[in-house]
Amino acid sequence: MSYPEYAVKLTITRGGGLAGLTRETALASDTLPPDQVAKLHELVDGAGLLGDAARREAPPVHPDELGYEVTVEHDGRTSTQRFTEQTLPDSVRSLIGWVDSRPEHRQSILPP
Amino acid sequence: MHRLVHQLMHRCGSPRECCFIAPPFLLDRLAKEGTTEQRQAALQTLATSASFRAKRSMLTKLVQTPGVDIRALGLAPEAVAENRAVYDVDHGGMNDLPGRLVRNEGDATADDDAVNEAYDGADATYTFYKEAYGRDSVDGSGLSLISCVHFGVDFDNAFWDGGEMVYGDGSGQLFIAGSLTKAIDVIGHELTHGVTQYTAGLEYRVQPGALNESFSDVFGSLVKQYSLGQTTDQADWLIGAGLLVPAIGGQALRSMSNPGTAFDGDPQPAHMDDYHDLPDNNDPRNDNGGVHINSGIPNRAFYLAATAIGGNAWGAAGQIWYQTLTERLEPTSDFGQAAHATLEAAADLFGPGGSEEQAVAQAWKEVGVLS
Repeated sequence: MSYPEYAVKLTITRGGGLAGLTRETALASDTLPPDQVAKLHELVDGAGLLGDAARREAPPVHPDELGYEVTVEHDGRTSTQRFTEQTLPDSVRSLIGWVDSRPEHRQSILPP
Repeated sequence: MHRLVHQLMHRCGSPRECCFIAPPFLLDRLAKEGTTEQRQAALQTLATSASFRAKRSMLTKLVQTPGVDIRALGLAPEAVAENRAVYDVDHGGMNDLPGRLVRNEGDATADDDAVNEAYDGADATYTFYKEAYGRDSVDGSGLSLISCVHFGVDFDNAFWDGGEMVYGDGSGQLFIAGSLTKAIDVIGHELTHGVTQYTAGLEYRVQPGALNESFSDVFGSLVKQYSLGQTTDQADWLIGAGLLVPAIGGQALRSMSNPGTAFDGDPQPAHMDDYHDLPDNNDPRNDNGGVHINSGIPNRAFYLAATAIGGNAWGAAGQIWYQTLTERLEPTSDFGQAAHATLEAAADLFGPGGSEEQAVAQAWKEVGVLS
């Protein structure tokens, strides 16, 4: 399976947690080597982040749990989905882990 | 509602099925709308069939609903001596909790610092509550203290999931790698979320949420002070000292004595004049209405009361805050109600109009909660 070469920008916002800090992590496809662009597309597709956000029944938050917002900009469109630690799909967790591991990502840490 | 309960009661054929037919929204509806009998019956049925994880999830939802006696149902463990267990999540997520058991109560030291630190931190917290306030574990009835380490990949957080402690490894980008199990005040903070869950049940949003956070900071700090044998003037009154990476530019996550000074850009207010009125929505930037922000105000009130009384903070001041948390608050209590409750506790424990009550009143005035 091949992936179109359109540009993708991913922004992950994590908030709350033990520290109560907001952490924004961004990764743009045009900063990545070509083989990693394909990997980014594969992970974004697999995480189901390109369509409309499915409605989720959010369970009550646990103390010090993180909240997540993931925004995908691609092909002139922007999709944003929010999750709690409990509703975060494993596929999105893997995507976030991969973004964190890429040296090209940009990160800022801000108080609310 | 009757139909939902009916489904719960009759479709629980196997443990596997049970996990899937008791989704959170159903438990919420059951907790909010069901009668006492419905809740009790559903719990009883599920208790005998649900998986360990589903059972804990249910207990979390229903433990504070009025009328349900989980001890009578045989769901709560018998009161026993300290009982710890540490599991290795092996970098998995929520679906992988608790993970593989690696150290049970009384087992020899494991070959894993995170495991041993979580085990020892749970001990410091258990010992503090038992010796200072006669409390037998998080629920007051010997609940097993379960810790799950190595959650996620380079995960920058630790949290209480309603039944157990969950620790990430830290990525080195926010928390220093390996640091999250090292600070016993953080472990005490997390386990105190469990104490709050079983007692006041403070909602995790806006002022009740900031109180929930503050009680965790207060008793988390006291776990550390108790283990070090410190007096109020020897304590550092910091939460999570040395956990943040140097790039954040700070000494700790929070300062109870001087809220807003723990790190560069620390947003905590020290007075009601600077209260952050953040919305309670699902935007992760708003921290459930600023629960980790506005906790600075009641945190400083405790610090002021404890230092005015002097000696060991887990003494008179700690006893007043402990009685307030465990006997005098409701899920929706706000700062003002908490302040009045501490005054009543001080009068009850040390006599009306005594120096303790005066110190507590002065502390709440100084942070602008009482006038």
